[in-house]
Amino acid sequence: MKSNGSWLSTLNPSCKLIVHVLVMAVLMAIRDPLLTLAIWLVAVLIGISVAGWTIGYLLRRLLPYTLFFVLVCWMLATFGKGEHVLWQWAWFRVTTESLNNGLLIGLRMLGFVTYGMLFTSTTDLNRMMMSLIHQLRLSPKWAYGMLAGFRFIPLFQSELQQMKIAHRIRGYRQGHGGKAFLRYALPLFSQGVRKSERIAIAMEARGFTGTRERTYYVQPMLARRDALYAVALLGVTTVLIIWL
Amino acid sequence: MVFQPVREQVYLGCDGLSVRFYSQERPVLHHLHLHIQQGEKVLILGPSGSGKSTLLSVLAGIIPEHVEAEVEGDVYRQPACGVMFQDPDSQFCMLRVDEEIAFSLENRSVPREQMEPLIDRAMEQVGLHIPRDTPIETLSGGMKQRLALACLLALEPEVLFFDEPTAQLDPASRNEVFALLRQLGNASQHTMVIVEHVLDGWIEWMDRVILLDGQGRLIADGSPARVMKEYRQEMVEAGIWLPKLFPYHWEDVRSNSAHPLAVRLTRELQQRLAQRHIMWGAHTASVRETGMGDGASTSTVARMTIMGVRDEALDKGNRTTIATMTSTTMNDPDSAQAGAKASIDVSSSISSSPPTADPLLQTERLTIGYGRKSIMNGINVDISPGQWIAIVGENGSGKSTFLKSLLRLVPPLSGSIRFHGKELRKWSDRELYARAGFVFQNPELQFVTDTVYDEIAFGGRQRGWEEQQLEERTLQLLREFGLERLRDEHPFSLSLGQKRRLSVATMLLFDQELLLLDEPTFGQDARTAAELIGRLHRRQQEGTTIVMVTHDMELVDQYADRVLLFQQGQIAYDGDPSGLFLNQQLLQGSAIEAPLPYRLYLERKERQTI
Repeated sequence: MKSNGSWLSTLNPSCKLIVHVLVMAVLMAIRDPLLTLAIWLVAVLIGISVAGWTIGYLLRRLLPYTLFFVLVCWMLATFGKGEHVLWQWAWFRVTTESLNNGLLIGLRMLGFVTYGMLFTSTTDLNRMMMSLIHQLRLSPKWAYGMLAGFRFIPLFQSELQQMKIAHRIRGYRQGHGGKAFLRYALPLFSQGVRKSERIAIAMEARGFTGTRERTYYVQPMLARRDALYAVALLGVTTVLIIWL
Repeated sequence: MVFQPVREQVYLGCDGLSVRFYSQERPVLHHLHLHIQQGEKVLILGPSGSGKSTLLSVLAGIIPEHVEAEVEGDVYRQPACGVMFQDPDSQFCMLRVDEEIAFSLENRSVPREQMEPLIDRAMEQVGLHIPRDTPIETLSGGMKQRLALACLLALEPEVLFFDEPTAQLDPASRNEVFALLRQLGNASQHTMVIVEHVLDGWIEWMDRVILLDGQGRLIADGSPARVMKEYRQEMVEAGIWLPKLFPYHWEDVRSNSAHPLAVRLTRELQQRLAQRHIMWGAHTASVRETGMGDGASTSTVARMTIMGVRDEALDKGNRTTIATMTSTTMNDPDSAQAGAKASIDVSSSISSSPPTADPLLQTERLTIGYGRKSIMNGINVDISPGQWIAIVGENGSGKSTFLKSLLRLVPPLSGSIRFHGKELRKWSDRELYARAGFVFQNPELQFVTDTVYDEIAFGGRQRGWEEQQLEERTLQLLREFGLERLRDEHPFSLSLGQKRRLSVATMLLFDQELLLLDEPTFGQDARTAAELIGRLHRRQQEGTTIVMVTHDMELVDQYADRVLLFQQGQIAYDGDPSGLFLNQQLLQGSAIEAPLPYRLYLERKERQTI
């Protein structure tokens, strides 16, 4: 998670997070595919206009989800129930209801993904954690701890990879299910515990106490443009709901 | 348990200190007395498990404040201190350089507006000349330790503690950190307490050396020269890497050829070359200079001078022999003079004739890389049976990736590898890994069972060996690698040296003919490293082929028959180690430090030509 230098990335992360979660909640609540489509298009418009997305980036990121979208639509539309048959061939039976349903679920998923991407592609992780401390009163103990934890993710990936090839050379047959999971999870987990203990000691040795008695290098504030973005996005959503 | 605040007469230290961790029966430190003056630079030495890190943690206040332990005795601390840890990766909690340094300032509640100049100053002090928002993950190990130091300096400490700060670095980064710390030590009034098991780079500028024994008792405390002289034997037993130079100074050794160390080094070089010479008949060394084709051309690697190597070298020369030596001053009584007169030609030719024995492993136009980016192009290497091959080069030059690709552990980008003349990908896993083993840098990754015995027996069980045969083989390996007493232990509970040995033992159950090792001596103390290498050497004499990636040039010089230098995406050198160590040009471009005997020779020669 890094800032990409766009207008959207200058916004306060907490404010942006709350607004996006609200829109996602709206997406969950509505049952009209057309309205869902409209709200999704708003996200795409934001992405292109103020989030620094290029068309290429948009296509590249959304392509896998679009394929998934087609699949979901097809599944739900052809095997759904309903009265008004639009098209029927062999065991495929598309009805108005099932088509509506398929489009709704598919678009809802796209909407979720796009609003999520709008957030993650424009938000710096460190700024977000600091904003959680300042705007949402999260304890520094948790925020800094989570920041330190994020550093582990790529480490875990490379270690799992290493362990897989190391086991292969021993002739360890990779089973499936619980046993294989345990075999990899336990050493990774114990390594993780050891590493995090070391980091915790290093942080405390540098005077970290986890209390609020500290200063901050990065202090995200709320500004007028945050209000502007919140009002605009929520306003447009409301208008769409009333209008459509 | 009494903790006294700083008493007037003792700046830092302890009286009658004993420490025991709740999980262990025996205390790690026994009744220790230690007083450290302000501004002193103190080096704490001891075998692994002697509690030296524990002592440092107590003095720094980490024990018992952040790590629980039973502490007895009086401890005198300073409130303003900073600790630098071993693992560069597990002492940071932020993502970028400036945020990390700022974390120190934030903890001290420095107002925001004062932070930026302080961050700049800390970066300046440690020589971090990079953009402030550089992501930490992109830094090299040496740079990370620089950053760690910058973070400590931002705490404005009076006392600095270092817990094996260079143990996980390659030699180039290690020298970088040594130079930095030494410069800091000279320029500032900081009290410094350092735990290490390598002496080179420290001992020259320490005020005091403290030696602990295996039971956590203090056995020596004094000036470096005195401790080195009087406790040499104890240090060897403790597995401390003794300094190669101290108490001498390189400048003296270089300029005065009658210097005792100079005499010794010159003699060593003779011996090594003479030894090599016997082996030279069998191997080929070739120097591939960029832009030079595969044609038979000769390049002079080094024209060197030394006394006492006999002329018989000249006659040994067949097409693949590398060296011709001439000695003019065999009987010169003054060895110092002699060192300057005689001369050896170490010249090499690229032989276009095929290698004598059928290669065990052959790569052809092999290209390897991370992801899609290639790091090494067009590698053609033949590995003959019975050789000990070392692969050297900077971090990130592709050594490990190359090694892994040789056994199909990572896919090459292009090119082919043949094992016993058969395409590598046509081998089944089962057959291939019964003939070739791989020892990872982190041995823990390989362990699949719960006891040392089962770990070695694992491969046999997978193949349905009879229990009796299996037991015989396993016990034999346990004995060979000194693990008999540990047969029922959990592999994870062993020490690093034992884990490495176990990892090698598991790879030899089928008497694998090829063994690949990724930095087998890395992070170990001198004794455990020597033990492992000794065992590998015995295996090699019995016919095992060994290919290892290493940074230890002494090891390369003493054991390898052949060395490959990876540099800028090419194999810059492929041949006898002494040819590499005598090639000034290659050495300068590669950050490789030749062992002292070679270095002395080269520097002397340089002085003469000037």
